[in-house]
Amino acid sequence: MECQDFALQLDDLLDGQLDVARQKSVQEHLGRCPDCRRRHEHAKAVREAVRKLSPPALHPGFMDQALARATRAAVGGPRPKWRPVLGMALAASLVLGVALGVFFSTQSAPVQTVVLTIDRPETVRLMFNSARPLKAATLSLALPENVELVGYGGRRELSWQTDLREGGNLMQLPLVVRGATKEELVASLSHDGSSKTFRLKIEVDNAGRPGM
Amino acid sequence: MAMPPVSPFRRIRAAVSPYRRARPDALNFEDLLRPQVEYLYRLAWRFTGSVADAEDLVQDVLIKLFPRTRELLEIERLRPWLARVLYHQFVDSVRQRARSPILELATGAESEDNPLDALPAMEDGPEEHAERSGQRERILRALDRLNPEQRAVVAMHDVEGYSLEELETMLETPLGTLKSRLHRARQRLRALLPMEPFSAGERVRE
Repeated sequence: MECQDFALQLDDLLDGQLDVARQKSVQEHLGRCPDCRRRHEHAKAVREAVRKLSPPALHPGFMDQALARATRAAVGGPRPKWRPVLGMALAASLVLGVALGVFFSTQSAPVQTVVLTIDRPETVRLMFNSARPLKAATLSLALPENVELVGYGGRRELSWQTDLREGGNLMQLPLVVRGATKEELVASLSHDGSSKTFRLKIEVDNAGRPGM
Repeated sequence: MAMPPVSPFRRIRAAVSPYRRARPDALNFEDLLRPQVEYLYRLAWRFTGSVADAEDLVQDVLIKLFPRTRELLEIERLRPWLARVLYHQFVDSVRQRARSPILELATGAESEDNPLDALPAMEDGPEEHAERSGQRERILRALDRLNPEQRAVVAMHDVEGYSLEELETMLETPLGTLKSRLHRARQRLRALLPMEPFSAGERVRE
């Protein structure tokens, strides 16, 4: 057996799927090839490292909340998701935005634009950053004409009270556009007497997206 | 494509007791899913690498499944069935996310007193930097470079221990495709994760 052949057997070796003849041949090769021994050790070590990676503990309230939401959603429709984003999640999201060339920065563009296709629900993701945790902040949404929040058809004004964590807080808004609209979506976040208002221009893509 | 082996999701209608059939769906749903939520979260985290995304994924799956409570009652091996639902939801959500940009709404400081004026939390502080430099972070970053299908096969096969033959049935994906995904995923992880932190040898070129 040559090193190239060994490389082809490596997955089956890791999975214990080699038959007796191939096992013998592979072991003979490993016995005389230090490079492939190291390759094998590296492969085992990487797999072990991935296996040992354990998720952070489940948030204590998550299970009850998630089950309750699932049973309620059947009656009341989905609620927008609002949650803090920390560490890798934020980094990964930003990388994705950059990679797509669609990441928006408000540093130079106070009003941002998103393009939606008529009757196709799309999740618009809004990121709010806060310098410190905020208890009971109020988020108000004013939707433009012909734009609906999925599950809240016909309602143009909605508001929620929520806690913000320090750092990035991601809100996912499932929106669907029903026709042409010229107004902006206005999101206001207020807490303890101060507030910030963000505007989002919604453009309608009548032609739809190619290749979808 | 070879015929898949006997489905692991075989139904056992006779085993659903009249008592369960008569109970409200919400109670049955809780009974069935509560013991599975932690497993789903763990798998979802391995798919996404993020607590927030994993929680979203599990929540979406639960919302989708509640209307199918009667069907769930009749599934013999619920866990692999749920893993399949989670997998499809994951792949769909990645595709959907690729179409929806993030709109960063933190603006430049207008008032020092207003916490909402904070600059975007994009740059690491010392603590985050130290954490990112750790091995855990390197592995997460490497996994993040895999495509969703590759990442899922690593999670389900290398970590959760489903055989490729089981996955062939669960994910309704040809065995050859799964082998190819696994091979490329492992190869990429090895390329991204040099040997040194994992064992005392020199790096081997792929």
